[in-house]
Order: sequence, then structure tokens, then C-alpha cells
Amino acid sequence: MEFTEVVGIRRSIRFFDPERPVEREKVQKILEAMRLGSCAMNAHWLRAVVVYRDELDPDVFEKLKIPVAGVIMELAPVHIYCYGDMSVIAKDHGARPKQLIDIGALAPSHGWTHRFVDEFVWPQLLEPLTTSPHYPAAMAFDNGLCAAQGLLMAYNEGLGACWTAFNTEVAKEVLGIPDDWIPHYMLNVGYPLESREAGGQRPRPPFESLYFEGHVGKPFRRDEAVVEELKQRKMIQAPAPLPGRQQELRELARRLGLPE
Amino acid sequence: MLERAIESYESVIAWANGLRQQWGGDPFDEDPAKLPTLAAFCEFVGKDPDALVAFCFLRKRATGERFASKQRREELMPKLKEFEVAGGRGVEARRRRSHVVSFLSHNGVLIH
Repeated sequence: MEFTEVVGIRRSIRFFDPERPVEREKVQKILEAMRLGSCAMNAHWLRAVVVYRDELDPDVFEKLKIPVAGVIMELAPVHIYCYGDMSVIAKDHGARPKQLIDIGALAPSHGWTHRFVDEFVWPQLLEPLTTSPHYPAAMAFDNGLCAAQGLLMAYNEGLGACWTAFNTEVAKEVLGIPDDWIPHYMLNVGYPLESREAGGQRPRPPFESLYFEGHVGKPFRRDEAVVEELKQRKMIQAPAPLPGRQQELRELARRLGLPE
Repeated sequence: MLERAIESYESVIAWANGLRQQWGGDPFDEDPAKLPTLAAFCEFVGKDPDALVAFCFLRKRATGERFASKQRREELMPKLKEFEVAGGRGVEARRRRSHVVSFLSHNGVLIH
């Protein structure tokens, strides 16, 4: 699938085929995509634990669920629990930016040398970051970038997915999560039981209300020719609600015995 | 347990309105199992529909503000499970539970 179409077809899938397992190699592809995500200082804080729903003890599974995510978790055969490992920077002492220098990703032309890392980056940026109240947010942003790549890979592989919260205390115990990992979200993965369109592309705030040019208050004007091109390339798709969506939802609920 | 026709309870009227708004049509005509299933659950837990919804909410001592109680929800969940299991297994049993969950959802209580 073209990249533009993958972006276009991605929307949270909440009805999975509960009986259709996800191939392990597809799960691996999702993780491989996460690993290649952009990350400051090449730190790679993101950690993920793959759990197969049907291998969970039923009582444990009940405890992992939270009310708003319960049905999604029940329907999705694969759950990928995502965490941020807060210990990465403290353990590395600047080793990762040095590695980027050694492999030619960072260069002296931009000021990057081992000495610069030792004299400035580690003591004045990275080490203070580890105790900064902003650290979790900074880490979470990068982890979101990595996780989003895995999310898109799922759609590229014909799967659907939906991020949900989960019972973090139960998960910590059941999954053996170290104390310095902080929980993010869990990616529910499976084959969609609803149509790929899932009712159409979700509404978004107007483009110009989100993005600016030069300064806030001067909207980035949308070029309709670009919009048209992205429609042709299936990135911008028919908006929700598509005709028949309510009927589809009702049929799915009845088929699965879910509440209406 | 029910002191009058089940469809006359305020919470059941809210359920009917919610279903009608969501799906159109007459929800209890289209699926005649809904009301008897709710009545059976009310009997099972010893509460009428309005009392069942009221049970799921508490008020904050300090402000009197009404809130959906997690503790009450957790008290109800095993009952719901028991009710489901009593209906057999598979989709049919699940549907039995789902009628009650739907009733609660349309009254602002999320429980699964």
C-alpha cells in the first residue's frame, strides 16, 4: 500500500474479528517499525510487551481491563503494552549521541564531537533532563513518534488497531514491568470485523485552526490543489459518517452479542 | 420486585429514548427480549430499574456532587457475570448480559 493510503485508511478500529488470530510475523513488523522511529539522542525509550489475549488467565484479563476499553480488549487478539524506560539516559551517559557521531549521523559540521558530548551534552543537557519534571513528557513525545510508526505498519499489513488505556497496576505485576518504566498506552491489534472505512475518516478541526505560518494567528493557508492530490492518493478520504454506518454498527453489535 | 410496568420507570424511558435516538424505530418491538431480560436482572439483584441506576451513583460528601461510583460498579460486575452465566454460554448468554449493559449505558453507567 502507498504511504499516503496507509495514513488515509488509519482510523481506530473497535470491532475486531475475535476468532481470527494475528500472525506473529505481522506483530514483529509492527515492532520493527516502532524501533525505526525518530528519537532524540537516539535514546529509544519505548518498550513494548506483546500479550496474546487467549493466553491470558481469564481472571487476570478481567483485571487488566478498564471500563471504556473492555470490549475492544476482548475483541482484539493481540495487545501491545507500551512503556517508557526512564532509566535509558542515566545508564548511557551520552553513549548514544557518541554512537551517532561514530556512524556519521552527527558531524562536526554541526558541532558534534565526543568532547562536545562529554563537556556539554551530557552534563548540561542529558543529565539534568533525567531529573527534570519535563522528562516524562519529552520521552512520551518521542515514544509516540515510534509507536505511531508501528500503528501505521499494522494498517499496512491489513490489520486494524486501537490505542487504549489499561489497568497499569495489574499490568505491572502480571507483565513484570520494572519500576523505572512508565506506562503509556496499549495497542489493540486484530483483523477488522468492521469495514476498512469504519464509517469514514474522522472529523478534524479545520486545518487553518491548527497550523500557522510565521506566527500564531496567521493560519497556514490550505492549497486546495494539494488537498485534491491527496484525495487522489487516498490520504484524504470520504468523511464520516458514511451511509449505512449506523446499520453496520448495529449488525456488528448483534453479531457479537454486544450492547446496543 | 417491580411495583409497576417496567416501561414506566424513568430509567427505562431513558433507555428507550436512547435506543430510539441511536437506532430509530421502536426498540422494544424490534427486540422483545430486552424488557424481560432487564426485569429478570432486576429480580436477580433485588432492585427496580431506577434503584439499579441510582445504586451506581454516589454523592461527594464535601460538595454533594453526584458521580458514577467505581466501587458500586465493581459490586455490580460479579452479579452481571452470574446473570450472564445463568443464561448459558456463547453469544446468546452474552446478549442477555448486553441488554442490561445497554440499559445502564443509556443511563450513563459504563460497565462491562
